[in-house]
Amino acid sequence: MSRFQRFPTAPARRILVCRAIAILVSVIVVSLLLAMSGRNVGELAHLVLTSTIGSRFGLEDLALFMTPLLLTGGAVTVTRRMGLWNIGGEGQFYLGAAGAAGVGLFIHGPAILILPLMALAAMLCGMIWILLPALARAFADVNEIITTLLLNFVAGLLVYWLATGPWRDRVTGALASTERLPVSIPDLWGVVHWGFPLALLIVGGLAAIMSSTRWGYEVRISGASAGMARYAGMPVRVRIISAMLLSGALAALAGMFEVAGTVHRLQGGMADNFGYLGIVVAVLARGSCLAVIPAAFLMALILDVGIVLQTQQVAATVVLAITGLVLLLVAIADECAHYRVVTPATGRTVRKAS
Amino acid sequence: MIEMLTALLTTAVLSGGVLAIASVGEVMAERVGVTNLGVEGLISVGAATAVLTAISTGNPWLALLAASAAGALGGMAFASAAVFVQASQVLCGLAVTFLGVGLSAVIGHSVAGMPVPVTFAPVSIPVLSALPIIGPAFFAQNLLIVPAYFLLPALCHWLLFHTRHGLNMRAVGENPAAADAAGIPVRAIRFWYVTLGAALAGAAGAYLSLAVIPSWSEGMVAGRGWIALALVIFAGFRPFSAAAGGLLFGLISAIGFLGQARGWPVAAPVLNMLPYLGTLAFIMLPAVFRRKGRRGGEAPAALGLPYFRSVR
Repeated sequence: MSRFQRFPTAPARRILVCRAIAILVSVIVVSLLLAMSGRNVGELAHLVLTSTIGSRFGLEDLALFMTPLLLTGGAVTVTRRMGLWNIGGEGQFYLGAAGAAGVGLFIHGPAILILPLMALAAMLCGMIWILLPALARAFADVNEIITTLLLNFVAGLLVYWLATGPWRDRVTGALASTERLPVSIPDLWGVVHWGFPLALLIVGGLAAIMSSTRWGYEVRISGASAGMARYAGMPVRVRIISAMLLSGALAALAGMFEVAGTVHRLQGGMADNFGYLGIVVAVLARGSCLAVIPAAFLMALILDVGIVLQTQQVAATVVLAITGLVLLLVAIADECAHYRVVTPATGRTVRKAS
Repeated sequence: MIEMLTALLTTAVLSGGVLAIASVGEVMAERVGVTNLGVEGLISVGAATAVLTAISTGNPWLALLAASAAGALGGMAFASAAVFVQASQVLCGLAVTFLGVGLSAVIGHSVAGMPVPVTFAPVSIPVLSALPIIGPAFFAQNLLIVPAYFLLPALCHWLLFHTRHGLNMRAVGENPAAADAAGIPVRAIRFWYVTLGAALAGAAGAYLSLAVIPSWSEGMVAGRGWIALALVIFAGFRPFSAAAGGLLFGLISAIGFLGQARGWPVAAPVLNMLPYLGTLAFIMLPAVFRRKGRRGGEAPAALGLPYFRSVR
């Protein structure tokens, strides 16, 4: 008699197959819901394809969406290796944008000097923003999911306050935003700025740090088993704090790229869920830094679909619901990948082989 | 002075009710060993459903029922994935939050910003409402206040700590393998209490959109679900403490409202940060000052861990 048995590890190929099924199922569910609400799914699909990978503008949009997602996804991945969740990417993104905008608005000079300074300020702000949750996690075992998340709301309000209060645009009187920043990241290809290749490079560098430095090794070991890491003499607390600080800096850098490359002003609500979507990217990447790249691509594709749907009078947040559906199904798929059909005969051979 | 205190407490009780209902529900889910990070999404869905139902039927109680049912449905989806398939509770919870926040904006799109025609109107309870300060706050507002702060926590407390079934529930949260060996249906108990918690989150949403802010708008939940989750930890997983915590945070936001109304020289967005900063302080302080063995309120031992019967 054959039955399902759970195995502690799931091979990568099995996970890929299960996830492909999960994504297919979510596409079917979304199309069915759209069809039920009286929309022409075939036409929509055509529109989605031409406005994403089927045209130059679509590809440019994809790259623009991917840039912050690569960094926020990388940020969450770093903490995942440590066995932690940084759900505060949204807040660190805001702080990074605010720090960068502060430098850009109030320090004047050649772009070649100001841009690195903006990036530095952004990363510093992001690190400050995650410092308290990191310390609380390392020394008092306070759940970092809730602490990092609560700070997102504070950060959103802080940026809103800056953009409508002390830093508000006094020149054109634009609502809820600062003046246009005098410097911006130079464009590379159409509207795509140099932030995109830089973000790719950073993710590649992150993968190298994780796989081939002592720090990366110690973070991975501490994440896999804190007790063992402590026994081996690794400074687990210091690694928790440093991994979380790096994570905060990455998410903040995404904010700097967005404010200096795409939006050019500090505005309330400008993080646009990129911090939260970074969690989805990291989940899709399963803790591998290089896998963040295809994961960010998929997420950018979903965001693009959301824009197409928005032109069809569907609420903008539908993209959040679609993301939730994909995430739920992927979580289920990942668990299902652990199961295999075992017949008593193969069960015996497995035992013999091991 | 008395007048100001009364006004402050009245606002606090009104706005803290959302947190009280949602966090008592989450206490039930976490006591059986499941962290439902989807509370924020479930409150959103409840709030949108309540407004839609209230507009189409004109009956607030029906709206409350519909919101609870919508919450329960979301909870069942979460629990099917997190309890029966044993998928990661963190992931499923975040997914439910995304789904709930996104979906509620889609279904509430047509009624966004509209005032609700029927709300939970204030009702004075005789004798009790004549009490100074607490009378107007607890017994002269809408009819959900007393259930939210007294009846619901009392019921949950009694169930958890004074019945055999409650003992079974706690056993499932502490040591599911032992509970399973004793013949307690681990998965069924987890499934139904997660669903109950989600239904209460939906009800909290209805309370929010029908009693506190009588309309639906995107983002109106504004992190209340996450504050409720933090409250559960702060309350040491006890229903009465959770409800009291809801009141405490209602008080913190009421101070913010008071500041805005009185024109304190602090910008409104800064005052709006108070509930989040307060939650942060209250979740960190007990952990920092906790002495070994002095305080209970530890998390259930198997909280957040899926239970695999085959892996022993």
